[in-house]
Amino acid sequence: MSDAVIDQKTLAIETERYHHFITLALWLAAITGVEIVLIYLPLAPAMVLGVLALLSAIKFFAVILWFMHLIYDARLLFWLFFAGLALAFATFAAMIALFSTGRIDTKWFA
Amino acid sequence: MSQDAAHHAPTSTGIDHKKLIMWLFLASDCMFFGTLISTHLLYRKLYPTGFTDAEGHQQFVQKLFNIELTSFSTFILLMSSFLMALAVSAMHKGELKSFRRNVLGVIFFGLIFLGCQVYEFTHFYHQGLTIQNSVLGSTFYVLTGTHGTHVAIGILWLVLMYFYSFTGKLGGHVGALDVEVAGLYWHFVDIVWIIIFTAVYLVEYLGPSGIWGDGLPVLAK
Repeated sequence: MSDAVIDQKTLAIETERYHHFITLALWLAAITGVEIVLIYLPLAPAMVLGVLALLSAIKFFAVILWFMHLIYDARLLFWLFFAGLALAFATFAAMIALFSTGRIDTKWFA
Repeated sequence: MSQDAAHHAPTSTGIDHKKLIMWLFLASDCMFFGTLISTHLLYRKLYPTGFTDAEGHQQFVQKLFNIELTSFSTFILLMSSFLMALAVSAMHKGELKSFRRNVLGVIFFGLIFLGCQVYEFTHFYHQGLTIQNSVLGSTFYVLTGTHGTHVAIGILWLVLMYFYSFTGKLGGHVGALDVEVAGLYWHFVDIVWIIIFTAVYLVEYLGPSGIWGDGLPVLAK
């Protein structure tokens, strides 16, 4: 692609993405609204927590796939990022498991 | 190879080096924030009682947080991400004026977000929650403060990019790539907040005393 001239193919792609971005922004705002309403509903906390986690995951992946172009870009970038994400989640899971034994010596936290 | 990858200069991976390094950085930052969020959640589980204010009264997090304000700042950050996506798209189309307009919007929304955070921190401090007086204060301020620092760095980056666009050097494929890399950073800051909003704020409102139970420390049971 020349620095001065933008080809028609790029223009068409970006115009199509523009509409995707608007739709996605509306969905993200709507999901955030649903999350706020959810916490005030008289439902079981465990169920609400599950739904909140799911909605957060949807927002998270929607942003990385469309706004961050991962869906349009090379697959390698997705797996690179996913590796970091997996390690972060594994750290979280390991720490939760570690501190769920019920046999923690409180003097370490005093 | 995808449509975006096809535009890049030839590299051994087929991906531009700037973009590849930014994604590697974001992956490492993911682990960084993962650790901070895990630490906060663990200590909330171990010490669900909140904190004790300067007068010695027990304070609960649910009464301290202002979910309306946090929801507003979350919405603002999501919309800034949307404008950033439009700014990147404008650069790919070579529309410099549109890029500047959208980037100014991102900077404005980012500043509103930071303003909300400063207000929140000041309010919490006056309510008695400091970084030193409780585990909650330590983990909360470190986590949200680190995120706020990321937002501030992002704003500074975009302000520099905005003024750089007037020099005439920000254009073509290289310019679009530079904006895209800055955009990746900004979107990352947004997705981290998506997690923080749920894991730190919303979970405090589940049930009459929050997800962390009846207010008794797990260790004391």
